[in-house]
Amino acid sequence: MNMIADTMTANMDNKPEPQVNLDIEYTETVGAYTCDDAKISTRDVNVFYDTNQAIHDVSLDVGRNEVIALIGPSGCGKSTFLRCLNRMNDTIDICRVQGKILLDGENIYSKKQDPVLLRARVGMVFQKPNPFPKSIYDNVAYGPRIHGLTKNKAELDDLVEDALVKAGLFDEVKDRLHGPGTGLSGGQQQRLCIARTIAVQPEVILMDEPASALDPIATAKIEELINELRKNYTIVIVTHSMQQAARVSQRTAYFHMGRLIEVGDTNKIFTNPKHELTEKYITGRFG
Amino acid sequence: MSISALLLLLAFLAAFGFLIGRQKIHLQYKQQSEKPRITTLPKYFGYVAGLVSLIPALLVLFVLHVAETPWINHQISEVIASEGLQTDLDLDLYLNDIKNANSEAEVAALSHDKQVIHGHYQRITKTAEWGKSAVVISLAVLLGLFALKRINTETRARLIFEKIIEWILLAAASIAIMTTVGIVLSVLFESMRFFGDVPVMDFMFGTEWSPQTAIRADQVGSSAAFGAVPLFVGTMLISVIALMVSVPLGLMSAIYLSEYASRSVRAVAKPVLEILAGIPTVVYGFFAALTVAPFIRDLGEGLGLSVASESALAAGLVMGIMIIPFVSSLADDVMSAVPQALREGSLGLGATRSETIVKVLIPAALPGIVGGVLLAASRAIGETMIVVMAAGLAANLTVNPLEAVTTVTVQIVTLLTGDQEFDSAKTLAAFALGLMLFVTTLVLNMVALYVVRKYREQYE
Amino acid sequence: MNKPINNTDQVKLSLKKRYFKEKVFKSAGLLAIGIAFMFLLVLLTDIITKAMPAFSQTQVNLTVSIDADELGLKDDSSREDFMAADFRQPIRQALRDRFPEATKRKVKKELYTLVSIGAEYQLRDAVLENPALLGQSVTMDFIADDDVDAVIKGAIDRTLPESDRRVKDQKLGWILEMEASGEVHKTFNWLFFSAGDSREPELAGIKGAILGSLYTLLVTLALSFPVAVAAAIYLEEFAPKNRFIDFIEININNLAAVPSIVFGLLGLAVFINFFSMPRSAPLVGGIVLSLMTLPTIIIASRSAIKAVPPSLREAALGLGASKMQTVFHHVLPAALPGILTGTIIGMAQALGETAPLLMIGMVAFIVDIPQSIGDPSTVLPIQVFLWADAPERGFLEKTSAAILVLLVFLIAMNAVAIRLRKKFEKKW
Repeated sequence: MNMIADTMTANMDNKPEPQVNLDIEYTETVGAYTCDDAKISTRDVNVFYDTNQAIHDVSLDVGRNEVIALIGPSGCGKSTFLRCLNRMNDTIDICRVQGKILLDGENIYSKKQDPVLLRARVGMVFQKPNPFPKSIYDNVAYGPRIHGLTKNKAELDDLVEDALVKAGLFDEVKDRLHGPGTGLSGGQQQRLCIARTIAVQPEVILMDEPASALDPIATAKIEELINELRKNYTIVIVTHSMQQAARVSQRTAYFHMGRLIEVGDTNKIFTNPKHELTEKYITGRFG
Repeated sequence: MSISALLLLLAFLAAFGFLIGRQKIHLQYKQQSEKPRITTLPKYFGYVAGLVSLIPALLVLFVLHVAETPWINHQISEVIASEGLQTDLDLDLYLNDIKNANSEAEVAALSHDKQVIHGHYQRITKTAEWGKSAVVISLAVLLGLFALKRINTETRARLIFEKIIEWILLAAASIAIMTTVGIVLSVLFESMRFFGDVPVMDFMFGTEWSPQTAIRADQVGSSAAFGAVPLFVGTMLISVIALMVSVPLGLMSAIYLSEYASRSVRAVAKPVLEILAGIPTVVYGFFAALTVAPFIRDLGEGLGLSVASESALAAGLVMGIMIIPFVSSLADDVMSAVPQALREGSLGLGATRSETIVKVLIPAALPGIVGGVLLAASRAIGETMIVVMAAGLAANLTVNPLEAVTTVTVQIVTLLTGDQEFDSAKTLAAFALGLMLFVTTLVLNMVALYVVRKYREQYE
Repeated sequence: MNKPINNTDQVKLSLKKRYFKEKVFKSAGLLAIGIAFMFLLVLLTDIITKAMPAFSQTQVNLTVSIDADELGLKDDSSREDFMAADFRQPIRQALRDRFPEATKRKVKKELYTLVSIGAEYQLRDAVLENPALLGQSVTMDFIADDDVDAVIKGAIDRTLPESDRRVKDQKLGWILEMEASGEVHKTFNWLFFSAGDSREPELAGIKGAILGSLYTLLVTLALSFPVAVAAAIYLEEFAPKNRFIDFIEININNLAAVPSIVFGLLGLAVFINFFSMPRSAPLVGGIVLSLMTLPTIIIASRSAIKAVPPSLREAALGLGASKMQTVFHHVLPAALPGILTGTIIGMAQALGETAPLLMIGMVAFIVDIPQSIGDPSTVLPIQVFLWADAPERGFLEKTSAAILVLLVFLIAMNAVAIRLRKKFEKKW
């Protein structure tokens, strides 16, 4: 894969010591990858694009109502891993997923599992804001409508308003609910996408670098929002920014070249990383 | 001197200019005591000399060649006038016999008057031909000599040569404009003549179409009617049927192929659609006329309906099938221009594929799809062979798809094939219809291309 | 708004219906493709089954005595004498000898229609080739009349009552008798590929149309390829950004969508009436088709040129090559496979085009095989059109066969284009 190749060259460029040989130093995930009350638990997940392996034997639990941040250099597989959690990888023809991924104890990759229902339970917010070319209202109402979550217009209105309020966007857009969603600023668009996801009332929200395309003020708002949402949802967030991970998450998992290197409480990982690679990444030696 | 001989001679002169020019510079380079490190290759000087002698000569030759026939006609009519001969007929017709008489036997067969004119004609043609050759050749020689004299090692020959080539390239690109202008002028000019005979209003809003002008004025039913409404309605009827077949089928195939089909299905289905697109329209016409139309007629009879054997339905159906690949490839293009992020956004909320397609992709791609449908409509309106072979000739003003209707293109073909004079209202009517056709499709294309372009910009 | 956060049960409620809709939608897509497939299948089978009989021809075996005196010929007769001689008589005599019971004038007339009117020329050519046959009796195969052909091939149902049948009982009797004795038999129809058009179905061939198409395509290629490539190079590499260039681009895009029949009107008004070029000639047809295919080739060439990476241009420019040298030495060769593919597709389009050629008189009935681009001729699609219109039943199979030949040419051209694309497909 190109992404992996990029990472490799990037590593070589930035490493002070040229010999960080992953295969030698890597043994298994450092830190406790399990938790007591797991909402999602994954075991020995391998992901292949055609013949290239993008994820190697990742096992990781996500606790109920916790925010877990996935960090690591670009191309390390954290986004790929995230997309496994609601089977978004199904949309890529050449992608194969092996291993067990359990949501509330059910294997989401089992034949019986329905990806549509799964995605209604595990929502996703993408890297770049991707509002539909519809009105703000229709963007938020889209999920409830297709899933039949409301019985009438009034309920739908309430639900839309509720989602927009929760996403902290309502006050900004209440006068133009029927204006186009694409007319909002980047940060507003991303919050609209979050509102859209909340409106489906999922159990888990996956966020793929939700603030990477935004300016600092918009980013701050999103982070605030994530802290707010934690009360009701389980959130898995992929991020490039270690500060962001530190600000929003309770646990952090560090990925490197498709492997989960280290996982643990966020403050512990950032103050006292156990693995050499984690330490190098956190101290900015590469990545 | 014949045109081909003249062209050959010009080419020869140009080649000669090239050789001399190259040689001249080659020698000059040799004589230089201090050789510059970088020089322009001698061949570029040769090219310049050759092209300078060739291109103006070719242009002049073209102009003279175009002007030749009118000039000859003008000269000969003056001769006719001065000889005091009567030509009540059209000059072109009168001259036809004379021009066609090439052998002695044929000349002898002409009337006395015509024999006299024939002599003059021969003389005038010879003058024209030699004059033309003399002008062109002397121009080529003079310009070639001029160029050869002017070039020296200081000449920036490569730049001049490249500029000439660039102009030639530009001329090639401008042929598109010339073609459009040619179409507009030829159609407009003949239409004007037609509208001199038949009022525009009668043509646009008349409901009776019977262009068979009788040969003699006193014959019964000699008055021709040129009300084109039945043709417009017939064209619309068949096009609408075609669109009703092709738009849903084309759209659904594009959706299936791009959103559902596995790679192996796509690998088979796409070429099949391409084959469908590559089949000549005359084949569709044959199939429509000999297989589909009788089938539909029999089917209709079985149901107790009376179906014309040249029903609009048969032509429209087959035309619709023909346009399917066109619609599906356009739809495929616009659908794939919708960003993947929108698909993922919808799927990520738990929408099924069909919900994503119907509620997100199609609305997002709608302008592009509309543009595609407009292009398909323009295609259907301008389609000729299927309707010529499978639709009727008689102008029925009806919207019943089971009856036979005729279309604009059918009438253009009927009016212009067969032997008739070029000046009759009947043939000119074909150009008026052509004008309508051109304008309609032009507007549809312009709107469609504009809509599609705007649509693409939205996602770029 | 204190709904339960868990939506699973609610979503589940509607799932069944939604999946049903999904299935319906997906099947609709499959159905659409299926219909297109079916249509293609039906069309091809229909044409192939109709065309197959055209490739065989019924021959009637007759023993003809060639009496030199009756023909007025001697061993040293000139070619003209042979041409003028009436070779119909020996054949008629042979038929009368074969069926002596035909004595009435009307019956005899019917009898003579067992063989094609081309039979006398067959006999004449045989004698011309071998004058020793004069005064001898020869047994040879003659082309059967199209009705006989139809009966033998089963196109005319022998079991129908006489009143509904084109071939009446008497003639049918002769045919059956000769069929039983092996005097009529089928051979491969070489004539179809070596003859020009004819009013008689059994004598008609497509050689004239194939050559006409060939000449027309040569003219088209010679004109459109250089002009289109030059235009594409200019627009991609040299054109400044201004109104005029925009106008050219709009024109090209529009011309690509102008109905082909309009190009025919242009050809008629400009080339035939204004420039007095010959009617029905491949020259004019080629010019008209080249104007029509120009946009296609220009658009394909432009995308081929666009696909050449800038690094190649920069490399050449960095060595001090001029823009023109860069384009002609590096960009154009790299883009050539793409350009050629586009050209072949354009040519295939031109080969199948009919309507504009109708306008410039290529629809005339032409028996002679064209010898140059100035001769009157017709092209394959128009031959199809003409034969499809002909009332004689025998032309039905000829039409289908001509379509088959046309399709074979088109498939061959497209196969070459696809191969070319595959072979030179480069990942820049």
